[in-house]
Amino acid sequence: MRMRSLSVVLASALALGACSSTDSSEGGDPAAAGNCAPSTGNVTLTYTTWIPGIDKVVKLWNDKNPNIQVKVQTGPNGNGGTYANFFNQIKAGNTPDLGHIEYDALPSFRVQDGLANLAGCGEVTAAKDQFVDWTWGQVTFGEQDSVYGVPQDAGPMALFYRKDLFEKNNIPVPTTWAEYAAAAEKVKAAGGYITNFSQSDINQFAGLSWQAGGRWFANDGAKWTVNLQDEGTTKVADYWQGLIDKKLVSSVPPWTTEWDNAYNKGNAWTWVSAVWGANSIISGAPDTKGKWAVAPMPQWTAGDAKAGNWGGSATAVFKNSKHPYEAAKFALWLNTSEEALTALNSEAQLYPATKAGAKLPALTEGVEFYGGQKIYDVFATASTQVAADFVWGPTMTSTYATASDGFKSAVSGSGTLLDALKTTQTKTVENLKSQSIPVAE
Amino acid sequence: MKANKKALLFFILPFGLLFAAFYLAPIGYAIKQSLYQVERKGTFGKAQEVFGGLAQYQRVFTDGPFWESIGRVLLFGVVQVPVMLGLALALALLLDSGLVKGRRFFRLAFFVPYAIPGVVAAIMWGFLYSPNLSPFTAVTSAADLLSADLVLWSMANVVTWVYVGYNMLIIYSSLLAIPQEVYEAAKIDGAGALRTAWSIKIPLVMPAIVLTTVFSIIGTLQLLAEPAVFRTFSSAVSSTYTPNLTVYSTSSIPNFNLAAAFSVVLAMATCLLSFAFLKLTQRGGDK
Repeated sequence: MRMRSLSVVLASALALGACSSTDSSEGGDPAAAGNCAPSTGNVTLTYTTWIPGIDKVVKLWNDKNPNIQVKVQTGPNGNGGTYANFFNQIKAGNTPDLGHIEYDALPSFRVQDGLANLAGCGEVTAAKDQFVDWTWGQVTFGEQDSVYGVPQDAGPMALFYRKDLFEKNNIPVPTTWAEYAAAAEKVKAAGGYITNFSQSDINQFAGLSWQAGGRWFANDGAKWTVNLQDEGTTKVADYWQGLIDKKLVSSVPPWTTEWDNAYNKGNAWTWVSAVWGANSIISGAPDTKGKWAVAPMPQWTAGDAKAGNWGGSATAVFKNSKHPYEAAKFALWLNTSEEALTALNSEAQLYPATKAGAKLPALTEGVEFYGGQKIYDVFATASTQVAADFVWGPTMTSTYATASDGFKSAVSGSGTLLDALKTTQTKTVENLKSQSIPVAE
Repeated sequence: MKANKKALLFFILPFGLLFAAFYLAPIGYAIKQSLYQVERKGTFGKAQEVFGGLAQYQRVFTDGPFWESIGRVLLFGVVQVPVMLGLALALALLLDSGLVKGRRFFRLAFFVPYAIPGVVAAIMWGFLYSPNLSPFTAVTSAADLLSADLVLWSMANVVTWVYVGYNMLIIYSSLLAIPQEVYEAAKIDGAGALRTAWSIKIPLVMPAIVLTTVFSIIGTLQLLAEPAVFRTFSSAVSSTYTPNLTVYSTSSIPNFNLAAAFSVVLAMATCLLSFAFLKLTQRGGDK
């Protein structure tokens, strides 16, 4: 049965392809955007995500919407396994209705033809102005008639640091990367590491490169361009390689108990991370309560005000969903309503992608764990300093895996971060070609 | 005759159906997938699967990291399999020798690690190996068990720990099947315990040892859980560390066609090695 329906789908896809072959538009299928009709009767939606505490947020919706019930499935974070599941489910045709997808992975899912285009949902397109411009750009790919998800949160980056340790050792809080390297020496002398260089958070490295002016991918509509060795990215790689060579940073594999332990025990003093990282420190290093503070990201040129972005995600509706209208409605509520955004922030420190979100009462108060500092003010400023023109490639899973393999070698002492970027460049181009995605050499 | 056939069908059908649904069909599907490739137009063009012949196989055979990973698991197997089976044989002989009190207890104790899911075992050992978490700081501070040089052998230790008891049990049950008369004859001929073990027990359980070796070769080539778990603990384990990990990473891209081709090649390599080993041992038996 499955085979038969599959061949029907294949045949119709072929037929569609044949019909549109004279059409010069590149793969865009605006006709598909039209289908956003409400379903009749009661609807149960499935939603897969890894946001901590999401069940409490969804309960708010379920209590008020008996006709549209949402069932939450939680899994590991995207690159940790949920994306692999999504890809398999797309292939098998049994995706959930809604999925949590980070901006960097949206192009991959669009290339795999897994996402519903919500441009036909009037309520979604009408919400455009509620979102911070660059987040809307991420879900629309800057195109008309394309909306591949509802922006959920952003990941503007800043510097988390151990205020107590910096003060005790008379180390000024670094405002430039040069000062950060100088501070690293002093921290080492005091018996700690300034930070842990993450060998597998390539999206963090992307955020650092983003700040330095690196732009990894470009898409001119006809071809992709891959450039993992541009000036900004090279500068960042050289800088961290220097810290690794001088053994000023530790290289514990991230997101492990050992890594948590290093932060909890005060072995690692700073973390250049995104706003949601506030939650990671709270849960991973509970013993350090009240000892952290947040400062803006160090700058490459003193006096600049540039920030990177790490993460941030959208709530996407899968193409498979039989109830795109209801799914879109839930996604909009989840990501624009004050009650949902407040709940998401208090459960998971998510930073809303809406303009109004930054003014939520919860986001203007001091946070107890951070000594009462109004940390979200720092991120609100950073959010406006994130350049809007960073484009993600269509096979980030493999780009991340290759880069991570290379970074792992580099921190183990064989090869450098630059070598890793070179290999990743070649492999990414190779990989695009093997899936016949047009790419400039 | 007819009734016989019906009975035959009745007994074979359940197995046959499940075998076809969960074994033959997936293999067939994987082979089919491996012969296709994707075509699309434009940067976000819709993918169409078209027949690609052996294009994916060409990629497999020119993929450096994949063949490196095959070399790595072969090295692993050459060292780990003899060590594990040697241990299993020694333990089985000890249990069978009558020297050990509390035979039933030890039989169970050796087998317990096998009852622990592989992933759990790998996580547990990962904690024991991690420099900052391990209770054995004297060991972990002297040698980084998760470094590029040692991590393969750290994993070999986990695999050995899990499977020794299982293999021991197979060999032990084969020891129990040796008829008492053989031992009596040996005793009359004046053979001691060691001599009996060497000249009677080991040759008679050879088929069980060959069987466990074949299982171990297959298991080694398909190593997945341990490296997948150790990947999070160690900087030395890449996404293409073992052949099966390569398959997994490739299908997560997702590039299902290439992943299918990797799987088919891996399956053929496994078959080839297992049969080569069987042939080799059978020829040895003829002499």
